[in-house]
Amino acid sequence: MEPVQLPENKNTGCQSGHCSCGKKKEDGFEQVMSKPSDRRDALKKLTLGLLTGVGFTSTSCSVTAGDAKKEKAQLNWEEFFKGNYQLMTDDEKNSTVKRLERLYELNNGRKINVSAQGPMKDVLYGYAFNISKCQGYMDCINACVQENNQDRNSQMQYIRIHEHKNGSMDFELADDNFYHEVPAAGHFYIGTQCFHCENPPCVEVCPVKATWKEKDGIVVIDYDWCIGCRYCMAACPYDGRRFNWATPEVPADEVNHNQHYLGNRLRKKGVMEKCTFCIQRSRNGKSPACVEACPTGARIFGNLLDPNSEIRWVLANKKVFRLKEDLGTEPKFWYFMD
Amino acid sequence: MILHYSCSSSHQHDEQHDKVHGPLANRLRAYTDSIEYEKSSLDAMQQVKLVLAQIHDTVSVLLPERTSMIRSYPCSNCHTQPLAKLSAGRKADERKSHWDIAIIHGSAEVMNCQTCHDEKNMNELVLLTGNAILFDESFKQCRQCHSTQYADWVGGSHGKRLGGWLPPRIMNTCVSCHNPHKPAFESRWPSRLNTSSLTE
Ligand code: HEC
Ligand code: HEC
Ligand code: HEC
Ligand code: HEC
Repeated sequence: MEPVQLPENKNTGCQSGHCSCGKKKEDGFEQVMSKPSDRRDALKKLTLGLLTGVGFTSTSCSVTAGDAKKEKAQLNWEEFFKGNYQLMTDDEKNSTVKRLERLYELNNGRKINVSAQGPMKDVLYGYAFNISKCQGYMDCINACVQENNQDRNSQMQYIRIHEHKNGSMDFELADDNFYHEVPAAGHFYIGTQCFHCENPPCVEVCPVKATWKEKDGIVVIDYDWCIGCRYCMAACPYDGRRFNWATPEVPADEVNHNQHYLGNRLRKKGVMEKCTFCIQRSRNGKSPACVEACPTGARIFGNLLDPNSEIRWVLANKKVFRLKEDLGTEPKFWYFMD
Repeated sequence: MILHYSCSSSHQHDEQHDKVHGPLANRLRAYTDSIEYEKSSLDAMQQVKLVLAQIHDTVSVLLPERTSMIRSYPCSNCHTQPLAKLSAGRKADERKSHWDIAIIHGSAEVMNCQTCHDEKNMNELVLLTGNAILFDESFKQCRQCHSTQYADWVGGSHGKRLGGWLPPRIMNTCVSCHNPHKPAFESRWPSRLNTSSLTE
């Protein structure tokens, strides 16, 4: 089969210019990558037959069907054997992102934009949730589902809103299935999602290092490296992680085309996913979709390292607390009341 | 009018009374300098008219401009005569204009239309002292009676940022969320159900 010339990006480095390109790699990542390469070999042997048998026979009806098919096969091939995102050079990141964009175009006839934008300098994201303000409207969840291309069939959602009786903070007693006019008298509402812990237990248990904490504090997943063992799901004390039991489906005209490799790009069956603080938005200075959608202002997002940020003001001036603080996970997600 | 944002806002910090503990908190406290960013919240807000507002001695923010959003503005289109003449003796509940406006805010003892609107110049609002302010500064009016909420708004725990998390701070003003005549949040149906009981 002929190798396909991919658009190459010779001037190394990311577009953002924030990261120290060339110097490479996130800190905190120990060079223990023997497991992933074992995984790669095993998968290679196992699935090679399958891939050539099934992956290459998809039909297409354009005049250039032959060429498109060939290109697709080549791209699929290269995608299949790419490395863990953490170990990719900037060049490699750019190529995989280009491949994903091209593959989507070949498969769906529409263009998407997949970014590999790195963290900004001197930024550590934090989130605060004002319990006194949340009214239980759930606009945040709808915005999240749309923004993050979540499966519409299983109604996957990263955020949950729990209805508590006044005076109780016991999540066992909370109503998670309320459907009545809100706010209900004598009740308050509290939202949970991935808390992006500074010491994330989910990251520690991953056997293939498919999930890790980025420099800006966002805990991410490499969907192409995840083997779906769900250890992370079990390790998370906060019910922050979700698993794709089936191939996620999003109607073509509802797909958010503005994607990030570690964020809302389309997932596949058998991998984990979760809130990424909308990495595709936050690294561009936007707030996560839930923050933007909330009509009450209960959701506060910003840079923990910036002494002038609202989140720092909240931490300094409100009685904030985090869930299961004694576990030492250090969530970067605080709750408070007025 | 789109004002250019120049001065930097800074919050007052009370580090001694910091409510956060632990290694993460210590790490945060080590950062005391302002951070320089390469992007700005204004990038995403090109289409929105903003006004610069000094909301505290040391805090300036950008707020959405209001008058262009008020359909009956300028009020002086009709309010060329004193109110008594305009209303021709009609009582409030017989009003021919603004029939959709009733005050469900505090009580009739606390306020009437003239507590907030400048009878002499309807195009402006009025403070309890009688001093006139622009519609774009209506937060000054709310501040007179709601000082705790105002302080939280200045700090950042009441209200909402617009245009993302980067500086300069662009935020909703009080009346972006609260109808001044009927300021309570309304109860309504949630826009969806939780799906925690379904398999995901
Ligand atoms: C289309 C004409 C029109 C416009 C525009 C208009 N008004 Fe009026 N307004 C009236 C009339 C007429 C009355 C007398 C009340 C009635 O209709 O009986 C009135 C009455 C009022 C009153 C007194 C109501 C009372 O019960 O004492 C206030 C306050 C007021 N207007 C404020 C405003 C403000 C503020 C604006 C601009 C944002 C405005 N109006 C724009 C026609 C207008
Ligand atoms: C608590 C202060 C307050 C009181 C009391 C008040 N208003 Fe207002 N009103 C405002 C503010 C502030 C605005 C501008 C809101 C905005 O920026 O959207 C406004 C806007 C308006 C407008 C233009 C917007 C619209 O809804 O058409 C009219 C007309 C108006 N007021 C009439 C009245 C009348 C009539 C009364 C008495 C029945 C009254 N107001 C009482 C503060 C007040
Ligand atoms: C003259 C004093 C005064 C001014 C000015 C004033 N308010 Fe109020 N406001 C009150 C009073 C009194 C109450 C009732 C408080 C209570 O019931 O405990 C109230 C209640 C409220 C409530 C709670 C409503 C509820 O039922 O939950 C909100 C929100 C509010 N005001 C917003 C505003 C906003 C926004 C402005 C500026 C446009 C404003 N107020 C200006 C006196 C004022
Ligand atoms: C992002 C929208 C938003 C903005 C902007 C906002 N508020 Fe509120 N405010 C709320 C919500 C939500 C509540 C809670 C409503 C409830 O519980 O019924 C609230 C509650 C209040 C109350 C009732 C008492 C309380 O604390 O619950 C007052 C008074 C009030 N706000 C005043 C103000 C003033 C004054 C400003 C501007 C300085 C302002 N608000 C700006 C959303 C907002």
